[in-house]
Formats: sequence, C-alpha cells, structure tokens
Amino acid sequence: MLLIHCPYCEEARPEVEFVYGGEAHIARPVDPSTYSDEQWEEFLYIRSNPRGRHHERWRHTHGCGRFFNAVRDTVTDVFETTYKAGEARK
Amino acid sequence: MVEIAEVAVSAAELKLGAGPVAGAGVTLSHAGPPARYSLRARDAKVLSDVIGRALPGKIGDQTDGVICLGPDEFYAILPEGTVLPRGEGLAVSVTDVSSRALGLVLEGPAAISVLASGCPLDLASMKVGRATRTVFETVEIVVWRESEERWHVEVWRSFATWLWNAFVAAMPGAHG
Ligand SMILES: [Zn+2]
Repeated sequence: MLLIHCPYCEEARPEVEFVYGGEAHIARPVDPSTYSDEQWEEFLYIRSNPRGRHHERWRHTHGCGRFFNAVRDTVTDVFETTYKAGEARK
Repeated sequence: MVEIAEVAVSAAELKLGAGPVAGAGVTLSHAGPPARYSLRARDAKVLSDVIGRALPGKIGDQTDGVICLGPDEFYAILPEGTVLPRGEGLAVSVTDVSSRALGLVLEGPAAISVLASGCPLDLASMKVGRATRTVFETVEIVVWRESEERWHVEVWRSFATWLWNAFVAAMPGAHG
C-alpha cells in the first residue's frame, strides 16, 4: 500500500484514507459568461496528462478531511512532495 | 451450470451484540452512551471560549475527550448528559451528534491485532492518548488509544453491526 504524507496531519498515512482529486492549480474562471465554448471546454475537460511529474489534488477524506496538492510521478507512482492548498506550485 | 455456494452469514443474520465478547487476550464491549459533539471553527480560541474547555492544538491530539480531527474540526466524546453552549452569533459550530455513532471498546493485549485486521494505520506507533479518523476495511471510524491496551472505536450507527461482527470474527477464540 502507498503511504501519502498529509501536509495537515504531518504524517505518512495509508493510501486508502485518501481520494484523488484531479489535476491541481486549475483556477475556475472568474467570469465564465465571457468564455467562448472552446475556452470553456478547455477549462472543463482539457488536462496536461504528463508522463512524469504531475501536480494533482488529493483529499485526506478519512483523516483530517482536507484537500491538498501533491507532485506525483505518473510513471513510477512516487510522491515527490505534498503541500497545503493555497501554497505556490512546487 | 455454475453452483453458487451459500454465504456463511447473510447481512440479515448479522446482529449487534449487546454484552462483552471475550476472545484470547481481547474483549469487545460497548463504551456506553456518551454525549458526542461535532465542533467546527476556523479560530480554535473562539471555540475554546464558547465551550469553556481547552482544545488540543494538533491534529490527532486529544484533551479530556476532545479530539482534534482536522485543522478546524474537533470531535468531543463527553460524559452522558453534558450540554455544551452553542455560541450563537459567533463563527463556530457546536452540534450535538450523540445519536450518530456508537462507541465500541477493544481491550487487552490482543486488541491491537484485532483492530489491525482491518485498519491500515501503524497502530503500534500510535501514542497513548492520540486519536484519529481512519478506516476499518471500507468503514470510516474514529480510533482513540485510551491506554496501552484499550482502544475506543467510534462508528456511525448504520455500520456498527457489521463492525461488531468483523471484530468478533477477528478475535481469536471468540463467538458472537
Ligand atoms: Zn490529513
């Protein structure tokens, strides 16, 4: 089982306590009504899907309940780091 | 044709046990009916003043039955009948959730291995007095290590019957 370091609990915790939350650092448009269909599609559905370092959201659902961000390698599944929501991209 | 074997125990046959169940080195019992509160506040100081109690400062810590579950979330397991002030008008949430959960107690030198049969936490390195939300198999629980060999497990009522039977099944030599 993977262990994931929760930046709020400050502990490595079992993967089954967590839920994956998709790619991180995607800001919701402030005024969606000014968006074209293509821009809206881009925001809703188009993700970077890299091979390697991926910035992604996780939630410690069955722990402290918090969303946070992680950098995980999509090839090796190794977590490079995790950090609190709102902190700058690592 | 494929024969489908009968399952050993159907969900309808599962019963929540009433009395203590004893196994080798471990007993399972009910913790009794305490007052339970869900407490939320961005500013713990405000909440602490409202309820007139000290709050644990770190996630996973516990002070006199009040557990810090998350950055702005506490769970209180208090003596039956305890009524906390609600702090009306303040940015706090003090909610009586006494009927939401049941408390089960696993006690004895083998209690840790019964809990570990379904809980993926590193229980051996959990310090006495610490408490946390986690899972047992797929059921969410709150585990509080009350002493070296006494573990208090909070579980939502609808999962309690299953959890009780899962514990009994993991207890060496026990029969529900
Ligand atoms: Zn956490």
